[in-house]
Amino acid sequence: MFACIYIPNASGDAHAALVHCAKMFSPRAENTSAGTVVFDIEGLERLFGSYSEIATKVAGEARARGLEANVAVASNADAAICAARGFGGITVLNQGTEEKRLRDLPLSVLSPSPEILETLERWGIRTLGAFAKLPAADVSDRLGHEGIQLHKLARGAGLRPLVPHVEPLRFVAVTELDYEIVTIEPLTFILSRMLDGICTRLRSRNLATHEVHLSLGTYVRVLNLPLPVRNPKILTKLLILDLEAHPPGVEVRRVEVEAIPAKPRVVQSGLFVPLSPEPEKLELTLARVKAVVGEENVGSAEILDTHRPDAFEIKKFGVINERGLKPATTGPRSIALRQFRPPFEATVQLRNGLPMWIAFHGVHGPIATASGPWHTSGDWWRPTMWDREEWDIEVLDALYRIYYDVHMDRWYAEGVYD
Amino acid sequence: MQSAILRARLESALGERISSPVTDVERRVLESVPTGIAPLDALTGGLPRGAITEFFGPPSSGRTSAMISILSEATARDEVCALVDGNNAFDPKSAAAAGVELNRLLWVRCRKLDQVLKTTDLLLQGGGFGRVVMDLTDLPLSHVRSIPLASWFRFQRTIERTPTVLVVMSPESIVKSAAALVLRMEMRGTDWSTLLNGLNSNIEIVRSQRSRPLKSYVRVYLHSECVR
Repeated sequence: MFACIYIPNASGDAHAALVHCAKMFSPRAENTSAGTVVFDIEGLERLFGSYSEIATKVAGEARARGLEANVAVASNADAAICAARGFGGITVLNQGTEEKRLRDLPLSVLSPSPEILETLERWGIRTLGAFAKLPAADVSDRLGHEGIQLHKLARGAGLRPLVPHVEPLRFVAVTELDYEIVTIEPLTFILSRMLDGICTRLRSRNLATHEVHLSLGTYVRVLNLPLPVRNPKILTKLLILDLEAHPPGVEVRRVEVEAIPAKPRVVQSGLFVPLSPEPEKLELTLARVKAVVGEENVGSAEILDTHRPDAFEIKKFGVINERGLKPATTGPRSIALRQFRPPFEATVQLRNGLPMWIAFHGVHGPIATASGPWHTSGDWWRPTMWDREEWDIEVLDALYRIYYDVHMDRWYAEGVYD
Repeated sequence: MQSAILRARLESALGERISSPVTDVERRVLESVPTGIAPLDALTGGLPRGAITEFFGPPSSGRTSAMISILSEATARDEVCALVDGNNAFDPKSAAAAGVELNRLLWVRCRKLDQVLKTTDLLLQGGGFGRVVMDLTDLPLSHVRSIPLASWFRFQRTIERTPTVLVVMSPESIVKSAAALVLRMEMRGTDWSTLLNGLNSNIEIVRSQRSRPLKSYVRVYLHSECVR
């Protein structure tokens, strides 16, 4: 058996109150539409009495929330909806009497599409009873699939399963403190306990988290993880390292942690998988390294699509999963450049346009060989423009790359070939 | 003779409780990985896993080229590598041109020696990296020399039962007996036309835990294609 609570023109708050009211009687409540909530009352007689008593109690609960609702009980959800929409107050339809009881109700209780409603009105059909008398085959020919569905509802013969409303799962833990905390260390114990509980709940639902929100009073930090984790020790350590890098700077009286659930990572390991760090452990290692050298100094390099010298950016490092055997490179090897960042300003003496002598950062002497100039320029429309003449030189048994900055009218040592 | 007698007495006293109490815990056969420089691999048999390899030499001796080659070889085999850059000197462009897959290389840019040591320690403890390269070449020599030998032995102990190769690049030999393989690099001539074509580098084995080969050095030509 199913019960339906209905309020015409319900606001969002009123609808939420209806859902709450239904949940007080049954966990299987369907959020059908604005102002309409259906719920399963099968087997509730021992708790709340007969179906009419249940309907009375439901109406009473709604009234306690300031809502004058129609309540109907029927053997199927759709008949209950039609009855609640069509009859005022409390209605109980016994099994087998639905078609008879619903026959005088207007077609609008079925919520048909405007086209079908207009067609039926043109035919002179204005009640469910009149509609139910039409042969099903002819209704199918003229009104199609929707017509057949409405025809079944008009006969009180709905058979669809209930789609229960499920509250979104929230994994939140809150701790109110008696005294203010000003240092991070005591938070370790509090966070550890809170995350332990959250991770237990996550594990019980076979979930993990890829995003953790930490609120310390008004101070909020969001920890984004590259993959779902449900190990409380790792999460605690990551949050503490994050707080050490970004201290709250306020006294903490309230700690709130919320983990956004995600499906856990499933990995198929193999005997011949190449060596790579465990992702959970890698995240912790990276957080620790960031605490030592700074966040901007850890990651993988990405070369930018420009001819600008030394143009790259550091992006977040994560283990790449796709694998493929590439040919190992055992051909002739290439010289590598070691960059001086920033470049050293140099003093260069020229003869016939060729650099002959150089001094920079502890290196000074005659230039044995020089090759150049290689002229590069770009971004002339931006303040970050460059225009330079590069040279490869050999000084004191070492090879350097130097350049003359045309705009600055200065020489620089850019790096050493090694 | 005295030590041999002492050893025999100890072994008989400990009996069956401890087998071979005064011999090496384990004489492991070190698995090796290639460097990507064929003549060097032929000379050394590759870099030993679970051990420290040191490359040292002056500027332009080819240390960085060897490092890039090692990283290129490892990333081509889908291994994840880490570079602890002592003075932010790594050039991603020439590395990518030489075949290093940058998204498999964790680059940590340091400015001070203690950052380099702490970071290396964390990465080795974290585990899972195929190669960890510690680049100390641009740090002041006095700082590099001040690294206590105990630090190197700690690193060696951390990785000894793992497949990680720790490569140390330095201006002079500093790892000493903690290293399984020490290689000295030296520039032996440059090749110029109107432009720099390449350089010849001499790589010499200074120390190796493996049996020493008949020839202790190899000459490698490094071309300049990837930097021009």
